[in-house]
Amino acid sequence: MNLNNSTDYDCLIIGGGLSGLACGITCLAEGLSCAILSSGMSALHFSSGSVDLLGYFPEATVVPDPFDALPRFIDMHSEHPYARCGIDTIKEALAFFRQEMARAGLPLHENCSRNHFHVTALGTLKPTFFSQRSVFNQEIRSVIDHTPAITIMNIQGFRDFHPGLAAANLKRHKLFSACDIQCAEMHLPEKEKNPSPVHAMRSIDIARIFDTMDPDEMARLIRTACPDADIVGLPAVLGIERHNAVLDRLRQKTGKIIYEVPTLPPSMPGMRLDNALKSRFAAMGGVFIQRETVEKGTIANGRVTAIRTKNQNDTLTAGFYVLSTGSFFSGGLVSRFDQIAEPVFNLALARSPEARCLGSENFFAPGGHAFLSAGVITDDTFHPKTPAGETVENLFCTGAVLSGYDPVNQGCGGGVAVATGYVTGRRIARGIYSATRQRQDYPDLP
Amino acid sequence: MINLDNTSFDRCIKCTVCTAYCPVARVTPLYPGPKYSGPDAERMRIKTPFLADSSLAYCNNCKRCETVCPSGVRITDFISLARSTRLKKRHRVRNFLLTHTDLAGFFATRLAWLANFLLGLGMVKTVLGLFLNISAKIRFPAYASGRFAGELKAQARIQKAFSEQVLYFYGCYVNYNFHDLGRDVVAVLNAMNIGVIAPAQKCCGVPLIAAGNLSKARKNANANIQSLAAAARGTGRKIVFSSSSCILTVQQDYPELLDMDTSAIDGHIEFITRFLYKKFKAGNLPALKPLNLTAAYHSPCHLERTGGVMYTIEVLRRIPGLQLTLLHSECCGLAGTYGFKKEFETLAEDIGQPLFRQIRATAPDVVITDCEACKWQIEAHTGLQVLHPVSVLAMALAKY
Repeated sequence: MNLNNSTDYDCLIIGGGLSGLACGITCLAEGLSCAILSSGMSALHFSSGSVDLLGYFPEATVVPDPFDALPRFIDMHSEHPYARCGIDTIKEALAFFRQEMARAGLPLHENCSRNHFHVTALGTLKPTFFSQRSVFNQEIRSVIDHTPAITIMNIQGFRDFHPGLAAANLKRHKLFSACDIQCAEMHLPEKEKNPSPVHAMRSIDIARIFDTMDPDEMARLIRTACPDADIVGLPAVLGIERHNAVLDRLRQKTGKIIYEVPTLPPSMPGMRLDNALKSRFAAMGGVFIQRETVEKGTIANGRVTAIRTKNQNDTLTAGFYVLSTGSFFSGGLVSRFDQIAEPVFNLALARSPEARCLGSENFFAPGGHAFLSAGVITDDTFHPKTPAGETVENLFCTGAVLSGYDPVNQGCGGGVAVATGYVTGRRIARGIYSATRQRQDYPDLP
Repeated sequence: MINLDNTSFDRCIKCTVCTAYCPVARVTPLYPGPKYSGPDAERMRIKTPFLADSSLAYCNNCKRCETVCPSGVRITDFISLARSTRLKKRHRVRNFLLTHTDLAGFFATRLAWLANFLLGLGMVKTVLGLFLNISAKIRFPAYASGRFAGELKAQARIQKAFSEQVLYFYGCYVNYNFHDLGRDVVAVLNAMNIGVIAPAQKCCGVPLIAAGNLSKARKNANANIQSLAAAARGTGRKIVFSSSSCILTVQQDYPELLDMDTSAIDGHIEFITRFLYKKFKAGNLPALKPLNLTAAYHSPCHLERTGGVMYTIEVLRRIPGLQLTLLHSECCGLAGTYGFKKEFETLAEDIGQPLFRQIRATAPDVVITDCEACKWQIEAHTGLQVLHPVSVLAMALAKY
């Protein structure tokens, strides 16, 4: 709170997902006061928990080294958020993000600034940049050449993962063609204690068993279920509070390489990332409001003057505002009968607002679906525009609400969220310090 | 005809985030979780009422499911309504005693020493446990002698002498049990040159809603709306609350769950820390002395549901010398009357464990929270003193 100023905060961020939190943490690291207003839990709960940078370029071709591919990618996509961030800033943003997550107790695996693959629940391989230690990564990839015995294992009673499907698809991949891939199921004694017929075992229920049960006993159960496997793929349920310790113990006790396969929501790796981001944000002095929908923002003379909240029915003000409300899925963009819109500020959208042609008839269309790259139009510094074409000076947009990129077909959703959040946090700090106070040690933006 | 008042279950995308954060589902497999009990089963219950099953009783009404829902589904409303209209009423005597706080308070505050003596007796507790299914482990909050309402009315002339006034909804706990918090509210506001007036009021109804007695809750709601509206009309005075559950009930459950018309009071209602924050920001900050205190702040579930945590944190940050740690958001488990019910006493303890562990690890001088039930639970399980944010502010007043 800035009682000395007229505003409530230096920076108010609307949206508490990956991008909003990355921006918030950057603002706090710069010494600003910052609050995030979130309308429920974010899309991280539906994500793999890995952060993609650039997975596919050109179309559908896997990128081995994103930083190698980025210069040409940016040349060909001048409207892409990456083109507006610049490669050096993207690099800096990712390093900052990784450092902050490590400080929050969530070390992220990185493959020497190259992409690595993680295995999906369907048994496909997906290129990604940062992963949690427990998911299939380069370290495991190097063992594959020795044609190990792989077991994809489910936990009895868990309905959100199908090892047979994953194994069948993995076998079709050239990397695994020589491997022996089996399926197995492990029995949890805890599960049998469950007397309720209506209680479905979800990822979270099993994760809690992993959080509390003796890992040595768990290791014994895994060994019993698949005595001959060298590598064991489990659904991503290894706990949320002490998963790294559990993983290390299981690997040590079984002598097997154990990895997690992200499954259906709620995603445990996503929840770990969400926990780490929020605890870091709170530890640095940020205020995170879990349940507050911003109903409307007022723009006058090219500036946001205030935002109005739904629950508290209150008017809040800040030096700068950040819109990180996500895409259609999170409500950052809404699709109405005849048009699409950005509901808080009614900002100008990059695509023609008519809802026609937002999707392709072919679900797996090579060019993707147009709705994925819909979003607000901004200038090179992520300032959006009103429908009248006026630039909004004290408002920035970050993450999935932005237009000009396709997170699915380019494999860049996480990277865009982090990079745009970071660059915006830095920019806001520069704006605040140049306007109101001095900060000697503040470095210039690249 | 099918009643389609609340069809927010259509917004549910079955993501299970609510169940992932449900504190009850975390500790027992007997509760299938808010997704199943709320939007999933509600579709069935509309057409086939007998599908309502007894697992609905497990919901502790903390509303964390609604706080985390990315789709804005009013999950707890489905559960509360189904519980009230479709479940057979059980434990009628016990629920009467736990929910008629005004009646109990009326008698107990007249003979507080006797009431406290009796409630403290092991024998009485055993009897309550055996015959009424009230937890024998739980310590009842002690009754105060006399009512806070009377104390505040006696100061009416002094309070009216201030240049402006607020209407104070003190709630049952301040009125019958803990006058000190009410006194702190008055002290802080008086130090800011604001008088405090007590409008006539009944229990907000939150225990009645939790017990499924919505018709009695509506009666209380009606009386409160009439009285508060009459007191606020034409004066521009705010109605401030110091209990986060009372304000949640009046602000959200009255119009949404109980279907009451609250338009006469809507613009007037404010939680005390939001009221203070706005005044501080407008320059009305009382003189404060440094406190030299380490504190851990626990955000009550119901304050989170209303998005009001921000104001409490920012008010606390204005207190010099207060070293504040923000605890990771967890439910304390007591959830008003939930932990008093014998069938849930162990669950209530289990739910609170992660919070108690966090508090012990932080080892603060005091814990701060806005909710009286959280206060009882945290005090009982950590042995630490738990203060309301306004009480901490009162401690810091230069002249107090």
